[in-house]
Formats: sequence, structure tokens, C-alpha cells
Amino acid sequence: MDASRFISSGLIEAYVSGLATSNEVQELERGMTQYPEVAAAVDDCQLDMEQYVTLQSKTPPADLKQRIFHIIINEEVARESGALGADAVTDEFPETKTYVSSTWRLVAAAAIILLLGSLFLNYFFFGQINDYKGRYETLLSTHNSLASESNLYRTRIDQMEHAIDLMKNPSMKTVKMPGTKPFPTALATVYWNQQSKEVFIMVNNLPEPAADKQYQLWAIVDGKPVDMGVFEMSNPHELLQKMKSIDNAEMFAITLEKKGGSAVPTLDQMYVAGKAS
Amino acid sequence: MESAFTYTESELVQGLKAKDQKVFGYLYDRYSPALYGVALKVLNDESNANDVLQEVFLKIWRNIDRYDESKGRLFTWMLNITRNSAIDTLRSKAHKMDQKIQDIGDDVHLYTGNLTVLPSVDHLGLSKVLEKLTKEQRIIIDLAYYKGCTQEEISKVLEIPLGTVKTRMRNAIIQLRNLLKLV
Repeated sequence: MDASRFISSGLIEAYVSGLATSNEVQELERGMTQYPEVAAAVDDCQLDMEQYVTLQSKTPPADLKQRIFHIIINEEVARESGALGADAVTDEFPETKTYVSSTWRLVAAAAIILLLGSLFLNYFFFGQINDYKGRYETLLSTHNSLASESNLYRTRIDQMEHAIDLMKNPSMKTVKMPGTKPFPTALATVYWNQQSKEVFIMVNNLPEPAADKQYQLWAIVDGKPVDMGVFEMSNPHELLQKMKSIDNAEMFAITLEKKGGSAVPTLDQMYVAGKAS
Repeated sequence: MESAFTYTESELVQGLKAKDQKVFGYLYDRYSPALYGVALKVLNDESNANDVLQEVFLKIWRNIDRYDESKGRLFTWMLNITRNSAIDTLRSKAHKMDQKIQDIGDDVHLYTGNLTVLPSVDHLGLSKVLEKLTKEQRIIIDLAYYKGCTQEEISKVLEIPLGTVKTRMRNAIIQLRNLLKLV
């Protein structure tokens, strides 16, 4: 391309207006070094463009100049004190970054994912363990209460069996003691082993005594009352309660006495009585 | 505003390279309206134009050592920095083609009003120039210079063949040159 072709091609105007592609820019710059008239034409065109641009000037806000000076003065102060050094001119140079190889990045990413996964599973299983622990404890306490209940039943059954064994004994004599006149509904039974002379009392129906009172069994021997001991009402499952033994008796009776029993029966508090023979 | 005395271009460059703040102040007073006009034309937004102008003067101050006098005048260098910074900002704001063209269209009304110009130019001169340019001539210059449009983009916007974009630009600038001689 000769000088006149450059000038008429529109390349110069495209260059000055910013329209030229990078290839066109290189082509024109070669032309400018080769032909002084091309360089002069570019210069003229640039002046025209700059005049056009300058025609559209506008005064910037007044405070902008102070703002800019503030920044550069601070920079100068920093530069002189050596704090910034060469770094002050770095506007166009992005700060250097430390690059880590992609393999290590992958490894780091994988490690982080595994860690997060592990944390999640920990949390999850911890929750499950707590759940199982709670259920286990509930089961354990249920089991314990069942076991103690079953012990209780076993004890009662043992007591019952023992009582039934006693009653089955052929030498056992039964003395039924119906209620006296003031207490017609009361009823108790004496079981009296004629061989071993042991005496047991079975309460069929007696009212619950006051807290400071106790029932007392008496045997009437030769017309005289003999103390056979006091007994509790508190354990109704104990079918037969063992009393004092006696060789022979004409009658048995129960009176309500002060706690611990009396030496002499309180006759108006006689609830039941029955003949032994 | 304007300093009482003037510097030659090489005095300016030397002063800047020596980090002379007085020279820098003179440079700002002398050229900031022209550079601000460019930023404003590119961005159509005063706040963005303020930011760009600040960035431009800081670049001039910090990078004056990169200015090569053998490659062109100082003003051309400063204009290029301004135009590039402003167009970068424009692009980073993800303006679309439509927006660029809309800006140019709206801007037509601003050509005659609201301009504070350098003492050496006057409003009449500007409007005289702009009146004589056809709308297409104005738009082709402004799209290229102020909006950084490529030849392809201009061909699409003006609905002209790609091959004729450079010729139209040449004609527009020749017309501009003739009009500027009359100012």
C-alpha cells in the first residue's frame, strides 16, 4: 500500500476514531514509519478529533481536584517514609497471587468435603446413639419393675402355699370365731395344730383398727384368759399369722387393745369368740 | 482557575516526571474539562464520570514514566487513558448495545446546552459544527469514539454494509475537519 492509498483508505480515520482493528492498527503504524506524509495525515486527523472532543468539554465538580490531590499527597508522604516503596505505582498491576497447583486444590477440596461428611455422620450417629440409649434405659426400667413385681407375686404365692400346706395338715383343728353382739359381722378363724400345738390366726373380717390399737388373741383355759399375742392387719396377703402355742383351751377370743397388747382383755372390746371343742 | 503562566509540553512532562505537584495542578486545571467531557459523553452519568476522572489523573500521576514523547502528544496520551478507562467502566456496567445507542440518541439534546467550555472555544462554535454534521455522521463518530463500538456493531446499528463503515467514517471526519476550519 502506498502513501496515497493509506490516506484514502479510511484507515487513518478508523484509527483516530478508535474503530480500527488491531491488524489495521499494526498496518497503519508500519505505514506511518514508512511514509512521513502518512504520519502527518494521522497527526492532522488526530488534532481534528481532539478539537471535536475539546468542544464538548465540561468543568468537573470543584471538590474532585482536592480529592485527587489528597490521594497523591498521602502517597508521596508514604513513599518518602518508605512504607509503600515501589508498591505505590501498582494501580495497573494486580497484586501477585500465590497459585496452588490444581492437584492440591482438588485434594484440599476433597478433604474439606470428607470432613464435612464426617461431621454430618458424627452428628447423625450421635443422635441415633442417644435415641437407642433412651430406649434401652426405658426397657431396663420396665424390666426391673416387672422383675420386682414378679418377685412380689412369688413371695405372695409362697405365703399362700405355706398357708395352704398348714391348712391341709390333717391334725389342724379349725375354730371358727363369729362376731359378738356389738360386732355381728366380724369373723376370724383359729387354726390349731393338735400335734405341734401351734396356733395360727386367719382374719376373715375385722375392721381396721386405729393407729394406736392392735387386736389381741386370747385363749380361755379353765375359765381364765391367756394371752396368745397381738397381730397386725397390715399384711392382708399373709393368710395365716402364727400366734403363741397352747396345749389346750376351751375358747378363743379376740379383743381390741392398746398397741402391744394388755395383760387382761378389755371385755367390752371383744369382737369375736368361738368354742374350741 | 487557570494558572497565570503556561508550560510548554516538554516542561509539563518533565515536571510530572519529577513529581512536581504545582505542574500537576496546572495540568488538572488545563485539561480536566476536556477529559471530564469525554468521560461524561462515554458514561452519561456524572458520578461514574467523577470516578473515572479521578482514576485517570491518578494514572497520569503514577504512570507518567510510561509516557513516550516520541509516540505522540501528551494530550493524546491522556485522552486515550480517559477514553479507555471510561469505556472499560461502561462495559463493566454491562451496558448493552441498545443502551449505548439510546445514550447517543438522548445526548443529541445536550449538544447545545449545559456545556462549560474552555476559554478558547465557545458554544456557538460547537453548535455550528454539530448543525452541519448529518445525524448519521455524528452518530458514527460518537459510537466509535465515545462508546467503543466495533465496525460490526456500527454496521448493525446504522444498517449499512460492513465494508462501507470505514468509508462513512472517513467522510464524516472530512466533513468535521471542514467545519472545524470555520470555527
